[in-house]
Amino acid sequence: MQPEEITNIFSSEVAEPVASPAAATSVRGVSKSFRGTVVLEDIDFDVAMGESLVLLGASGSGKTTILRIIAGLEEPDTGRVILHGKDVSELPARERGVGVIFQAYALFPRMTVERNIAYGLRIRRRPRKEINETVDELIKLVRLEEHRHKYPSQLSGGQQQRVAIARTLAYKPQVLLFDEPFGALDAQTRVRLRREIRILLKHINVPAIFITHDQEEALELGDRIAVLNAGRLEQIGTPDEVYNRPETEYVATFLGAANLLLGVVTGGGVEIGTVNIHAPEETARFREGQSVKLVFRPEDVYLSRSGALPENCQRLTNGVVEEIHFVGAYERLTLRLDLIARQPTEGAPPLYSVTINTNEKRTGIPIIVTRPKPEANSTRLQPGDRVAVGLTAFRVLPNFALASERAGSIVDIHKTT
Amino acid sequence: MRHVRGFDVVKPLSVTAMIAIMFPLVLLPLASIFLFGTSKGLGSFWAALTAPEAIFALQLSMVTSFWATVFNVIFGLFASYVLSRYNFWGRNALIVIISLPTAIPTAVAGFALLLLWGPYGTLGRLIAPHGVQVMFTAYAVILANIFVTFPLAFGVIKPVFDTMSRSLEEASATIGATRWQTFWHVTLPSLRGAIVTGALLTFARAVGEFGSTILVSGNLANRTQTAPLYIFAKFNEGQVEAANAVAIVLALFSFAIFSVLFFARDWLDTE
Repeated sequence: MQPEEITNIFSSEVAEPVASPAAATSVRGVSKSFRGTVVLEDIDFDVAMGESLVLLGASGSGKTTILRIIAGLEEPDTGRVILHGKDVSELPARERGVGVIFQAYALFPRMTVERNIAYGLRIRRRPRKEINETVDELIKLVRLEEHRHKYPSQLSGGQQQRVAIARTLAYKPQVLLFDEPFGALDAQTRVRLRREIRILLKHINVPAIFITHDQEEALELGDRIAVLNAGRLEQIGTPDEVYNRPETEYVATFLGAANLLLGVVTGGGVEIGTVNIHAPEETARFREGQSVKLVFRPEDVYLSRSGALPENCQRLTNGVVEEIHFVGAYERLTLRLDLIARQPTEGAPPLYSVTINTNEKRTGIPIIVTRPKPEANSTRLQPGDRVAVGLTAFRVLPNFALASERAGSIVDIHKTT
Repeated sequence: MRHVRGFDVVKPLSVTAMIAIMFPLVLLPLASIFLFGTSKGLGSFWAALTAPEAIFALQLSMVTSFWATVFNVIFGLFASYVLSRYNFWGRNALIVIISLPTAIPTAVAGFALLLLWGPYGTLGRLIAPHGVQVMFTAYAVILANIFVTFPLAFGVIKPVFDTMSRSLEEASATIGATRWQTFWHVTLPSLRGAIVTGALLTFARAVGEFGSTILVSGNLANRTQTAPLYIFAKFNEGQVEAANAVAIVLALFSFAIFSVLFFARDWLDTE
């Protein structure tokens, strides 16, 4: 992309004073039900000028519905949509000035590339000269010069997407909405287009909202990520925040892989079986004796055969290496921890329970560990080796009801999806 | 059957049998109108064709069929839009009713129109005192044509509407188009093939309509006599050549329409 041209097209827009510079797009308390099923529950977020927000969630999480509500293609039951300080909740789609890049691009099949891009200006009855100039600029911007007279069916998926983007940029949208923009593309094109779009957005200073179920895409595209689960906003934050400091178990397991260990808050730490992890800051928000989960990522586990752990590493326990897989960029191990579940005393309600996910008679809680190549090469491990297990990072999350049966089992998004 | 080096005897036999069955049933009758019509030379064929009554009948058929087609295509578009975009009580009943005229014998259709618009009919009685008469005029022919070809265009356009991706129209709306602009620039071009096909089918069917027209038109030469009625009348009068000349024109005409539908299919469906 050529940044200068991108800036040119939007220079007039950027120069204008913006009434509320903080939020270019706001969604306020939006709820929606379809035939009695709650699809969205009290959704609330802001997107700043030039920011890109990714709505991340599994299918059925309601992310597409949010996008359609912002675009005006769907009406919320309650709540408001505010674009650049103006409440557009009551406006029809055509008066909102949002640009939607549909999943299958929705290019007009009987119009050439040029005419597709010109459509927004033609229906606004702009002078022919202005239309031609804008179309020329945009065609150059999305590098489709030699395809301008082709029909959408003659273009590749990536080219079609560029036409779709140019078609919305032509009328200077208030916000760009991308509905699963890379779903229909092969892996290589996907990565390339992602970078291109990111560069483009940085220059045009238009807020963008992406919808995806792909965590890698979310981490790369979003200035911030909003994780949706069953119509509720679980967490919204920078990629670093949602990945490294997940606030809910869902966020921890949906974005990347996570090990979950059930424990109780005891004396400024988390007691898991026979071990107590010292974590005064993390446990400060919980009361003594509260049931919690210790959450840590496979890459935050440090294994040592000698038993010596680096300074920044909190000792968890010992374990036995059960399986080792080499998965290209890193090594993946399954480990059984020497943790024995503490039995509740007779008559007292159980504080926690640990179920081991196996039919075989094996002791210990299984976890997954990944190690980068240099580490794997310097400390070679074999199945059956005993190691000391340390954590370089972890989170303590409340243990909500019904999640107990998952404790001790391994939740691994990489493998299950 | 034995197969000799990949040669399947059943194939030529079955093809021959098929043609042999079609020959007396379809091919010979068609051939005979051409053979008979030109047996006395092209001169007499031309004279029979250019007789004022024959020209009038052909013209009347074209004009009445044209207006019936215009009406039914526009209505078919409208009805398809309403019935595939909106869900309401009685929607399926309406779809069935629109399709009903296909199943009604054309003579019944003509009779029904007579009962409604005829001088003593339910509506005819009301407008007769004002000096307006619908039956036994060209308008009656158009009404009959509309009735019998009613579902044809609808039947072709509706399925295309149903399968059309809604996201095209939604994209158009988010870009800023009004409903009318969206319909004109986005929906209609996608329906082009269906509209042309529907129109040709309707027109071909209307030009050939006989059963209902003979009842409602009165079959008045130079006034309400369409081409099929002309063929029938001339044949009854024993003027076989006159009937035959018009028959040839109608046959050629339907070949032409059929060819367009058959060979232009790809062009109609895609760009």
